Amino acid sequence: MPRDIQGILDDVRHGMIPAVVYSDGEIFELEKQRVFARAWMFLAHESEIPEPGDYVVRRIVDDSFIVTRDEHAEIRVLFNMCLHRGMQVCRSELGNASHFRCPYHAWTYRNTGELTGVPFHGDAYGGDAGLARSGVSLLSPPKVDTYAGLIFASLDPSAPELATYLGGFQFYLDFYLRQSEAGAEIRGPQRFRVKANWKIGAENFAGDTYHTPHTHASVVDINLFAAPKARKRKEGALYFAGTGGGTTYKLPTADFRENLLSIGYPDEMIARMQAVWDPDHRAMVGSSGFMPSAATLLPNLSFVHNWPIVNADGLVAPFISMRLWQPVSATETEVYSWFCVDRDAPADYKAASYKAYLMCFGSSGMFEQDDVENWTSITQMSRGRMAERLNLHSRMGLLRDDEPVTPPIEWPAPGRARVGFGEFNQRELLGLWCDLMANDDSPSVTNGARRRYATVS
Amino acid sequence: MTITHAERTQISYNSRGYAEVLDFVYREAELLDLRRHQEWLALLTDDVRYVIPVRVTTAHTLDDSVMGDMAHLDEDRYSLGKRVERFATEHAWAEDPPSRSRRYVTNVRAWEGDEPFEFIVGSNVLLFRSRGDIHEPDLVSAARSDVLRRVDGTLRLARREVLLDESVVRMQNFAVFL
Repeated sequence: MPRDIQGILDDVRHGMIPAVVYSDGEIFELEKQRVFARAWMFLAHESEIPEPGDYVVRRIVDDSFIVTRDEHAEIRVLFNMCLHRGMQVCRSELGNASHFRCPYHAWTYRNTGELTGVPFHGDAYGGDAGLARSGVSLLSPPKVDTYAGLIFASLDPSAPELATYLGGFQFYLDFYLRQSEAGAEIRGPQRFRVKANWKIGAENFAGDTYHTPHTHASVVDINLFAAPKARKRKEGALYFAGTGGGTTYKLPTADFRENLLSIGYPDEMIARMQAVWDPDHRAMVGSSGFMPSAATLLPNLSFVHNWPIVNADGLVAPFISMRLWQPVSATETEVYSWFCVDRDAPADYKAASYKAYLMCFGSSGMFEQDDVENWTSITQMSRGRMAERLNLHSRMGLLRDDEPVTPPIEWPAPGRARVGFGEFNQRELLGLWCDLMANDDSPSVTNGARRRYATVS
Repeated sequence: MTITHAERTQISYNSRGYAEVLDFVYREAELLDLRRHQEWLALLTDDVRYVIPVRVTTAHTLDDSVMGDMAHLDEDRYSLGKRVERFATEHAWAEDPPSRSRRYVTNVRAWEGDEPFEFIVGSNVLLFRSRGDIHEPDLVSAARSDVLRRVDGTLRLARREVLLDESVVRMQNFAVFL
């Protein structure tokens, strides 16, 4: 019997999440059409392809794309499927190339996507009279845009502009990716597969400060942090703005420089942040005293920022990581986890920050290991018949009459924020997911093939 | 990363040195299988470096298939010590309940190192890791390039570089050592 999708979405909006949303194949098929084919999806960061010809191959669920920089330094996103017989044109995951040649019949494309080579063009096709090469290109996604070096694509031609989509969340990206005029450099990704639904990690990074004291008790036990009380998590603010939200830590003072020094940033980096950030960024970290930690942008891109002790002398070093929860199936996610660091940061800082990242997040991170243990278990548990009867309680921070336990706070930045534990952000994120899932206007798909090949001028 | 060292003098399979190397890698694998991590730590030099670089799919050749600036693990004595210390807490859920694991170490070859008291050792390792009773077990295949150093009469691990055979790791974490 098909699922009552509307009933499921109503429950999700009410903060009572039917457990099946974390493993059901029918819901996943709908997500492919209504979420991943509509939203702005992250592909790569510009610093991964710094030189002309550099490329990486990335996916939006089932679709493979070559993300490349052409010889004019322009970013191109090319659907990685040969126009002739549909072979995957580029099968390495990174490299440098001026052209891509299909392994099957050697149709060849410049890294702008243009078709430049067709073997036996005259004999086989009668030359341009049969197959015009000029103006024929590998497909591109309907929309491509960037912010702070992040390259996004949307498969929906009617998607809002990227800046509109990001809305207030764009402001928060600057904490992770614009710590100087030069911006961030991205290393990695580590890629690993976990038997967990993609939404669980996205929700966790968006706002789950409540899990930190227990799930991550071990890193406190081993004195990995200079300010060791995991309970401090509840003193941080949770914010949501536009299509994303995140968590913060409460910093010790109301002074911008003191606060950043206390978590391990050197003075020269603080000076650059001071110069490049807006007054509202500075107020959030300074007078308000909240430092961004984890965050999620709808649907599946998350960030994290933390500051462990990285050597026996007690050196505290911050790190930033970005991760994509790439869905493989309803019950499996491929995690792409990158290390991000400001390009102008001093070399010793970059080394310490990289160390901090590896110790905490990614495939070996002492935080992430334990997170994934929870997420795989939730996914597995949600598959059964009993789980059909269970709506998971996701109403933290709300009274039974829907009144909030605590009111929003004065907040110098976009969106709304609250101090204390609560599942406001997870509900906001899944509320946006519901909006996409409830919209049954299929994104328009224009097949331009006839137009591409028919007219020969 | 190459395991074969054509320019170095290989240690004969019949030599006492090779027997010592073999004894070391087997003993070490057993300690890891048994999760006797403190004893494993004692086999490492104070300046140990332990690296598992990220492997990537590249065109034409395997020569560039290791990511130069990103690893799954890039460890020193401090961070390995913290990881081991964590296993002893009551909150290391990734290995609690613990995995049942077995390391199959093969193709062991040894060469004279840069110093008279060092060996360069190449080996292959296949890890079998089973957790709980639901998920399929993990198999991880890799080559290792080690530096073993004689310290106070006994061999210690001074450096290990692990060349994974997967670009996308199917095992959900590196809460185990190879």
